[in-house]
Parts: sequence; C-alpha cells; structure tokens
Amino acid sequence: MHSSSFPSRWLPYLLIAPSALLVVIFFIYPALQSLYLSLYRVNLVRGQYLYVGLENFERLLNSQEYINSLVTTGTFTLFVVVVGLSLSLLLALGASQRLRGFSIYRTLLIWPFALSPAIVGAIWALITDPTIGVLTNGLKSIGINFNRVTSSSDAFLFICIAATWNMLGYNVIFFLAGLKNIPPELLEAASLDGANVWVRFWKIVFPLLSPTTFFLLIMNTLYACFEVFGLIDVTTQGGPGRATNMLIYKLYNDGFKNINLIGSASAQSILLLIMVTTLTLLQFRFAGRRAFYR
Amino acid sequence: MSAKHVLASVVSVLAFLIIGFSVPAAAQDAPIQIIFWHAMSGSRGQVVQELVDQFNAQYEKGQVIAEFKGSYAETLTAALAGVRAGNPPHIVQVYEVGTRSILDSGAIVPIMEVSNGQLDQTKFVEPILNYYSIDGGLQCMPFNSSTAMLYYNKDIFAAAGLDPETPPTTYEELYQMGRQIIDSGAAPGAISYGWPAWILEQTFAMHNQLLANQDNGRSGLATEVYFNSDFGVEVLREWQRWAQDGILVYGGREYSANDPFLAGQFAMLVQSTSSLGGIQKNASFELGTAFLPRIPGYEMGNNVVGGGCLWTMAGYSREEYDVIWDFFQFLSATEQDAAWHKGTGYFPASNATVAALEAEGWFEQNPNFLTAFQQILSGEDTIASRGALLGEFVTIRDIVGAAIEEVLVNGQDPKAALDSATAEINQLLADYAALNQ
Repeated sequence: MHSSSFPSRWLPYLLIAPSALLVVIFFIYPALQSLYLSLYRVNLVRGQYLYVGLENFERLLNSQEYINSLVTTGTFTLFVVVVGLSLSLLLALGASQRLRGFSIYRTLLIWPFALSPAIVGAIWALITDPTIGVLTNGLKSIGINFNRVTSSSDAFLFICIAATWNMLGYNVIFFLAGLKNIPPELLEAASLDGANVWVRFWKIVFPLLSPTTFFLLIMNTLYACFEVFGLIDVTTQGGPGRATNMLIYKLYNDGFKNINLIGSASAQSILLLIMVTTLTLLQFRFAGRRAFYR
Repeated sequence: MSAKHVLASVVSVLAFLIIGFSVPAAAQDAPIQIIFWHAMSGSRGQVVQELVDQFNAQYEKGQVIAEFKGSYAETLTAALAGVRAGNPPHIVQVYEVGTRSILDSGAIVPIMEVSNGQLDQTKFVEPILNYYSIDGGLQCMPFNSSTAMLYYNKDIFAAAGLDPETPPTTYEELYQMGRQIIDSGAAPGAISYGWPAWILEQTFAMHNQLLANQDNGRSGLATEVYFNSDFGVEVLREWQRWAQDGILVYGGREYSANDPFLAGQFAMLVQSTSSLGGIQKNASFELGTAFLPRIPGYEMGNNVVGGGCLWTMAGYSREEYDVIWDFFQFLSATEQDAAWHKGTGYFPASNATVAALEAEGWFEQNPNFLTAFQQILSGEDTIASRGALLGEFVTIRDIVGAAIEEVLVNGQDPKAALDSATAEINQLLADYAALNQ
C-alpha cells in the first residue's frame, strides 16, 4: 500500500528534524556525556580528565552514605506514592459529588500543584518553623514536640508531607477525570442489584480507575525521585544528619557545589536512570497488566 | 513545493539565525567595562551597589558593572564555569572556603600583579592579611571579613541571677551558667550555634590545633585532616554533653538559630559577626557580645577570618587591570572602607580605617562592633590559627556539618562520627590532589 502524501521521500524526515534535533541536543547528547564522564575523574576548570573505569560506580555502591541515601529515597517514594494516592483518591471521591459550589472546591484542590517544589518548601518551612510556625506551636499546645531542625525523623516526615501535599492537586485532577468517565448506569445497575457503597467502590470504581491509578503511580514515582530538589534545598538541605539526603539532592551537591566530583555525580545520574527505568518497567509489567482498559 | 524549495528555505532560515546572533558580538569599541560578580544579597548588596555607583560617578577611564550571582557557592561555581567557557568575570567575590578552589583553578591574577607591585600589603589588618597570604603573598583583595563571636541576652542572664556583664569565658563556666539559666526557668535553652561546622573549625584554630597536614594546606595541597583528633573528639563530646543536658539547642547549619535567639528561646548564640547588624536591630532585649569561650589547658591560637575576598581573573588586558586596581584602591580607601563596615558589620579591612573609626568614637558608641575585632587582634599568629585551606572545602563543611548533626541530634558517638567524616574527607582530598598536581 502506497499512501504517502509527501512529494518527496525526504520531506517527512526534514519535518521531524527540528524536534529530533532538540531531543538529540538536550537529551541524548547530555546522557551520553554523563555516561562518558562517569568513567572519569574530572577537573572541569583545568580540563583534566583522569580515566578511572568503573571506580566511580564501585565507590558509590560501597559507600554507606550512598546506600543510606538510596534507602531514604526508597522510603520517601513509598510514602509519596501510597499515602499520596490514597489520600488523593479519597479527596477526589468527595469532590466528585454533584453539589452546589463544588466546582470552586474542586479548583481549590488543584492549587497545590501550581506551586513549584521550592515554593511548597518555603510555605511548609514557615508553617513548621520551630519558633514561629503555626503548626509547631499548635502541636506544642497539645503536647507534641515537632522540630524539623533538631530531629531527623521529624525532618523526614516533614519532607514526606510537603511533597505529598505538592502532588495532591495533580493526583486529584486525574482521579476526578477518571471518575467522570465511569458510566453512571453501571453504578446504578449495581446498586439495584443490592451492592452497597463499599462493594460498588471495590468492584466497579476501583477497577475502572486502574489506568488512571497506574499512570499516577508512575508520575508520583518520577516526582519523588527527580523533583524534590527544590523542596529539600530551601528547607532541610539534606539534614539533620543525612535524614533527607535524597539521591537527587546528593547528586546536585556532588555535581554542582563541588566541581571535582562531576564524575561521581555522572555515575549517580546513570545509576538513578537505571533504577527509575527498571522501576517503571516493573510497574508496567506487574501493575500495567492489571490495569483494566475499556 | 519540492524538497529543494523546502531545503532552500530551511537553509536560509538557519543562515539568518546564525547571522542574526553573531552580529552584536562584532560591535565592540566601548569604554572599558569591568564585570564584578558578587554574592551579597539584601542590604549588603545595596551597600555594594552604592559603592560601585560612587566609583563610576567619579571615574573616567572605565565602568564597573556589579552583578549579583546568588549564594557564595553559586557565584564561585559560575565563575569557574566562566573560566571553562572562556568568559569569566573580571572580578569575583569568593568566600574563604573557596580560596583553594579559585587559587587552584590557575585562572587568577594575584593582587600584586594587578597593582603592578604598587600594593602596600601592610595596610591591611593583620589577621585578614594572614588568611589570604598564600605562596608568599597576598592573593586577592580583602573585602568582607568576619569571624565568629558569642552573642548573649543580658535580660535572660539577669533573670537567671547571673551577672549580665560577665559572660562565660571557658567551656566549664558556660556549662554552669547554662545549667543555672535552664534550672531557673529564665529560658528553655542556654546556647545555640550558627554554622556549627565552621565553629568547629574556629575552635581548632582558637586552641592552636592544626586542622590539616601540609601546614594546614598552606605549604602544599593538604591530603589529611585532623577532625577526629583527640581535640576534635573532646570538643564534640563536650557539645554533646551540653545537648543531652538541654543546655545546647541545635539550631541548623546557617542562620536559622538567629530567630529563636531573638525570640528568647536560649540565652547565648555563637554566630558570625556579620549577623551583628541584623541582631542588634531586631533584639528586643539588651544585647551583649563576648569572645568565644575556650577550653583551658590549650595554647592560645586565634579566630579564623571568614567572609570573602575579591579575586581578579586572568586573561584580560593591562588597561583593564589598571581600572580594576583603581577600583580596588577606591574600595579600600578609608571613607569607603568605613562606610562598608558601618553598613554591614564586616571588619574594616585596613589599619587606617580602624584608626579613623577610633578617632571618630565609633567603637565607643558601638562596643559590640569592637568585640570581634579585639578578639582577632588578641590572638596569636600561628600556622594553625591562620586557618586551613582545603580543596573541596564546601563539601568538607557539609560532611562535617552532617557529622555534628549525627552527634548532637541523633546521639551518635563523637569519635565514630568524626572518624567516618575524616575518612570521607581524606578520600576527597586525595582525589583533589590527584587532579590538581
């Protein structure tokens, strides 16, 4: 079948060339550059490149600090995904009711996502300031001492909550859209058959939402792994101790504050890429298969 | 439209873009412009801008353009990236921990060369001169220098039944007074630190303890640090005891301890002198300042000078260096130097300015501005007290900062925390040395 409407064999290639060029310049080339740099120890200023083979990777995997950062990031991601998605689904279910004034309520729910992680950090830093924070003082009055500056576990919890809150709006929008697509007649038929709210949710709503949930699972994982830099930088800066030293933050510190560790930082970015890709593939393989597409 | 036409139009668009972008670069016959990157935000940035404007207004051979480039770390990184890309600024302000990095970049011109040998080094206050004298001479133009001192709340001291005019001078006194402050309920805590990792470095220098080999990294690249020496462990054990007894309240890595101090959460704060202006303005209590308390039984050293210095980058013409030198002379002239000190709380850089400020009675009216100054002038000048110069100092300070947090916040054993930090730092230094031979 010959259905090309292009006058020349080359025109289609030419037309995609600009976007292909952008991908090559801004994604492929830097990625290859990272791969190259990860095999070297580099002094960028003096232009010295010392070939070290896989030593950068070897050192990372043997470093307690890196393993610690890995575990922290894993726990954090789990929190953002599990707590974030459950909470968003709950909120979306509430917000999908057809009641007066709910469009305003729905709009308000989406707001947090419009803020960049750094702004989220600044807002939450103020709310939880150990001296003047509204939340900390509120908690203090009921006998709970929450201090993200002097307690590693409080700081970690603080980052988890702020990040989850940041993603809430995004999750809610998608869940709302997903809920809207569920045919009301299915739910009506089920309730005529005597299914209660609980059964209707688990047997109809949840399975029909699974493509949305699956998509959000991936997006939240990516967010937790890649986008929390600003949040951490304006609040805890990886501390106290190394309680909030996530992989992406450590990578920044090594790569940018510290010009001679660019080789190690490149190795970290390669490892992070491998981990996130593997995670996403696993999600496609196991969760993706269960997602029910109509 | 044939493929040829498309190709031709694409090529012409590309050609247009290339020409369009390259034209402005060709036009260059303007008077000498000196680009000056600095890291002074807020009110300090305003003072910098005022000084630069004053200079430009009265100077004819060229213009200085001051640009704020973000934090110290960002400014340094940007300048080094500029070197790599072939367009560094003429002048860059680098904080003291970046000294080794900027020096080893090989992309700077020592101040002596900039001044054509006209600079009289002895005009600078000695400890400042000492810190930035490397390889036999002053390397950069001292600009904003500060150190750490003890701030205290006289009202809390009085409420606790202590003499507000007698702040602690030793660790033991500090502990006893701290006890009295929290036991009497005058404040929930007794003391906190700003920049704890820097304070630990200061503590080494104050007690004449070397921080690194190769004469503190001054006679060659340091390859080993001594954070986990008996002295380092002793200091952290002491701090940990204070923390466990509720006397020391951990206050974060930079300036976050200032607010709770101002709110009366604790009675004493060890912080950079550059916070003096802000603290003095915002304190609702009577503020006292004092020398940092010492551990008895160690030799006298000195406080290390922190802050920043102006470095001149290589690769520019003699005419440009002449303008830079004129600008530097302007900045360190008594009038401007005094304005800088009064406007920011940083040390006056030259002896002449100090004399002028004394003659004018400034220190009598503002005794808190004198404290830190007397502190650095009362110490001994030794190799250890000049402070260490380390490659990767920014990262090193992060590592030490994290170790201190493990000790104070998470109760880790000081020896163990410092051992692992030291091992990590030594590895960094070895890598640094391998790349900077």
